[in-house]
Amino acid sequence: MSATAARLVVLLPALAAVLGLLLARPRVDAGRVVPARGLAVGASALTVLVALVQLVGVHSGSASTAVGTLPALDAGELRIPLQLQTTTATALIAIVVAVVGWAVQAFAGWYLRDDDRYGTFAATVSLFTAGMLLVVQSADLVLTLVGWEVMGWCSFLLIGHWSRKESARRAAVKAFLVTRLADVGFVLGVVVLAVGAGSTAYRQVLSTWAARDGAGCADTAVAACAAAPSGALRTTAMVLLVIGVLGKSGMVPFHDWLPDAMEGPTPASALIHAATMVAAGTFVLAQLFDVLAAADGARWLLAVSTAVTMVYAAVLALGQSDLKRLLAYSTLSQVALMLSAIAVAPAQEGPGAGVLHLYSHAFFKALLFLAIGWLSVTVGGTAAATMRGGLRGHLLVRPAMFVGLLSLAGVPPLVGFVSKEHVLAAAEAGASQGVARAWLVLVAGLVTVVLTAAYCMRAWLVLDDVTAFHAERHDGDTATPAVRSAVVVLAVLTVVGGVVVLTPLIDLGGHIGWLLAVVSVLLVVGTGLLVRRHARGSDPAVRLVGPRVRRFDEGFGVDRLYVALVATPVLALARLVVFLDREVVDAYVRGAAVGTAMAGRGGDRAHRAERAATGLAWVVAGAVAVALAGVALW
Amino acid sequence: MVTLVALLVPAAVASWLLTAGRGLGHRAVNLLSAAAAVLSLAAVVLAVVLRPEVDRAWVPSLGLRWHLAVDGISAPLLLLTAVLGVVVVLHTRDRPPVGGTSAAFHACLLLVELGALATFLARDALLFFVSFEVVLVPMWVLITRFGDAHRPAARADAGGRFVLYTAFGSTLMLVGILALVAAAGTSDLTAMAEAGGRGIPASTQLVVAALLVAGLAVKVPVFPLHTWLPPAHTTAPTAGSVLLAAVLLKMGTYGLVRLPLATVPDGFARVAPVLGVLGAVGIVWGGLACLVERDLKRLVAYSSVAHMGFVAIGLASGTRTGLQAALFANVAHGVISALLFVVVGGLKERWGGADLETARAALREVAPRLGFALVVGFAASLGLPGLAGFWGEFLSVYSAWSPAPDRPLALFRTLAVVAALGTVLAAAYALRVLRTVWAGERRTPAIQDSRDTEWDVVVVLLVAVVALGVVPGPLLALTHDTVSLLVGAAR
Repeated sequence: MSATAARLVVLLPALAAVLGLLLARPRVDAGRVVPARGLAVGASALTVLVALVQLVGVHSGSASTAVGTLPALDAGELRIPLQLQTTTATALIAIVVAVVGWAVQAFAGWYLRDDDRYGTFAATVSLFTAGMLLVVQSADLVLTLVGWEVMGWCSFLLIGHWSRKESARRAAVKAFLVTRLADVGFVLGVVVLAVGAGSTAYRQVLSTWAARDGAGCADTAVAACAAAPSGALRTTAMVLLVIGVLGKSGMVPFHDWLPDAMEGPTPASALIHAATMVAAGTFVLAQLFDVLAAADGARWLLAVSTAVTMVYAAVLALGQSDLKRLLAYSTLSQVALMLSAIAVAPAQEGPGAGVLHLYSHAFFKALLFLAIGWLSVTVGGTAAATMRGGLRGHLLVRPAMFVGLLSLAGVPPLVGFVSKEHVLAAAEAGASQGVARAWLVLVAGLVTVVLTAAYCMRAWLVLDDVTAFHAERHDGDTATPAVRSAVVVLAVLTVVGGVVVLTPLIDLGGHIGWLLAVVSVLLVVGTGLLVRRHARGSDPAVRLVGPRVRRFDEGFGVDRLYVALVATPVLALARLVVFLDREVVDAYVRGAAVGTAMAGRGGDRAHRAERAATGLAWVVAGAVAVALAGVALW
Repeated sequence: MVTLVALLVPAAVASWLLTAGRGLGHRAVNLLSAAAAVLSLAAVVLAVVLRPEVDRAWVPSLGLRWHLAVDGISAPLLLLTAVLGVVVVLHTRDRPPVGGTSAAFHACLLLVELGALATFLARDALLFFVSFEVVLVPMWVLITRFGDAHRPAARADAGGRFVLYTAFGSTLMLVGILALVAAAGTSDLTAMAEAGGRGIPASTQLVVAALLVAGLAVKVPVFPLHTWLPPAHTTAPTAGSVLLAAVLLKMGTYGLVRLPLATVPDGFARVAPVLGVLGAVGIVWGGLACLVERDLKRLVAYSSVAHMGFVAIGLASGTRTGLQAALFANVAHGVISALLFVVVGGLKERWGGADLETARAALREVAPRLGFALVVGFAASLGLPGLAGFWGEFLSVYSAWSPAPDRPLALFRTLAVVAALGTVLAAAYALRVLRTVWAGERRTPAIQDSRDTEWDVVVVLLVAVVALGVVPGPLLALTHDTVSLLVGAAR
């Protein structure tokens, strides 16, 4: 049962995408949008159902790490089995992705109701979801790579959806190119792992590479042991893979594409940020945790990058003048948190804390994005100044935003608290073993807790400002029941989702450290109160950041750095190549033609230039020469 | 029998069109050519299924034989050629050629198809050479007579350059073939592949391999022998560009497999590192050139240089995976470049030029069908998984990371990294084109969206691009056995 469900979970959204594309027509009038919307929302709801069936199936004992799809590919020495897996972890995360996918489709059906390209958008969202679900269900590195890149391409299409805007076009290209550059690492990492294992199946890869240099070789074939890859090669492979993950997840130094991706419609942002693309790396690394645990270099890279990102992004979030961009930076910070758990969790604890934070972040971030998107429709924008007091008077968005922000800040017992504490506990466990990078992550994590509480409080103070209260703004709210139910479902999951740790659905190695939990709760509450006092009724960011807000909005000018360090040199090189191609490589071709023509002309002239007198002289000279020769040889 | 039908039908129709049928109207000519192409396609499909073999004496005194056969390596290319043969004729139906009679145009298309099919069928080294040369003149006519109507000088230059450059390569190849035949004592390619170069001294193998690789590299084309390609593509009519990119270039890579790799493996192993390095340079070179190229058709031509770099690396790696990668990438590039040239050629006709700096209406706004095809085409071109381009490039990088034991490992691993970086350049130029041509807010000057047979052709190619990407298994399985045989013989 679960095997069929696993296949359907990937297939359903993919089919919805194909059908949706066929249904999509560039001009929508009121009647035309209905079939496209029905298809998109219906298929996504069905996917949730199938994902639930899978979970039940797995729970009743039919977990499998080898669900066949297409026949295996025999590419010479390499075997690509193209299999899926259904385990507790995949089933759980598949549900999370499916739920967020459904919420986004339900929301987009209303949010983009007047968009003339809604059909294409909905189909792309379906394809995107299919890509993420493929990554989740995959038991094969190549299938993971397929889903991974499909998501990247869909993110290009979604961010650039409003392609009549230059800023959207640029953001879309930037997002794809930055992630694609990092993906070189991912592809090469996959190749190195596959070369060592002779197969791209996770099972073979793990059994080949996870063993610490020859140890644990008992259960694998002798040939695999003989070819037991060296530690240096393992570190190389995992460093490459981690680079790919850093790119897709928007970690420093690849982070700058993600805030710009806010140019896309809000449902797309919710999808990209909540449960899919940026979080996908966490799940992939969790699958390969046993290999990663043996590659210290890769874990160091991951730990340093995530530690820097979580603090840096939280600082930037605090000073954003646009609340949607605030959420974007908070995503960076939170994804850094989940990846950091994988970087520092002790090998025996496993990646559970990171996966748990992926699970919880999906719910509250999707909730926050949908709430802010909904609000932006009624108040007319996402700038902090425009949204001021926007929550007041809205019966559904206000409580939704409230639990979302509390969860993001990490207030018990919301889902965000539970998962964040697990991450901190994992870091603490690593630190107690004397691992230096775990200390780094732990300190950065606590700083992030403070900063997160600060920007959450700020967002709340701005949105809930009673002095800017205009209840009539919400009178024209046309949100459909589908939108309302999506927000309610996400809000409920945000509140009660934390109970998952009490079930056997997630494999957590560690548990919450109570001392650390008390410390972080105190930090959150203290920071919240402090910000509130300091704000004194105005936007605390304006008081804190003041005139430097522009620099915050620009992300401290990293974009210019990208242009100066990568784009400009590459373009200069390209111009050089074109010059060389024309003036050097092609020169000998033209030279050959010119040379031949000149030789021809020379020969021609040599012939035509013969006058009778000269010819006669030659004949005489010849006769004389022959005569002389005759005399000499006589 | 079926192989002869596949060859004789286009040959007969083409000769009739060139002689008695010159006065026929466009529609009639097109119908006749379409019938011939379809018949030929049917025969090729049958041949791929039945795998018949024709073996008759041709010039007995020289030991030459009229030897035609189908195996796993030629089958995909035969299908590709036959399908594209139909596609180009179909594409021409609503676009009467300018510059000459319709009969001559169709005859040239059929002759190119004939030459390509014969090349892929030939199992005799000299027959291979003769077929290889058959395509030259009709292609030259297509470029110089039916090419870009606005620039007669460029047409003459491009056509002349194409013929002279590739004929130069063919001369090198001919010398190589003669040396090979003299050394092996037979001109039968199957026998030579079975012998796997045994009995030919190492030094001779090296000379033969170097000559053959150098000669065929012109056709592929491998950097730095590529400068004939961009002008030829830019000026050729759309149908010509499609055949050039999708069929003619494949003859070069096919020749590399059939001749040096199969017959003188030891010599090829010594040339392979050079071929691999040139392939990697080509990937980066072509990708960079595409970043600043102003002419859209030239851009697609340069991207072909980059894509053929992956094929060269796969061939050079000397592993079964590498050979599989090269054969897959070969077919994938055939389909993708055909799609891109149909779309880009159509755009050039509509725009009256292909300059990217000229402000034009965004395709997404005014011609969504063409825009969609362009998006899929460039997505496939940058190697997006799920589309045709991915498998060949991924496997090629894989094979470069784990080359055959007799290849220099460090060098090939460097090539793997360079090739992987080349995919970023591919992404950059693909998005550059999409951002300039597809996305935007301009709606003037309006152009007509794709209709009639042009759209039918685009749909066929789109389906092929997606099918090869989603279900790569059948194509890999088709080549699998022969690849094992070839690389096995080399060991």
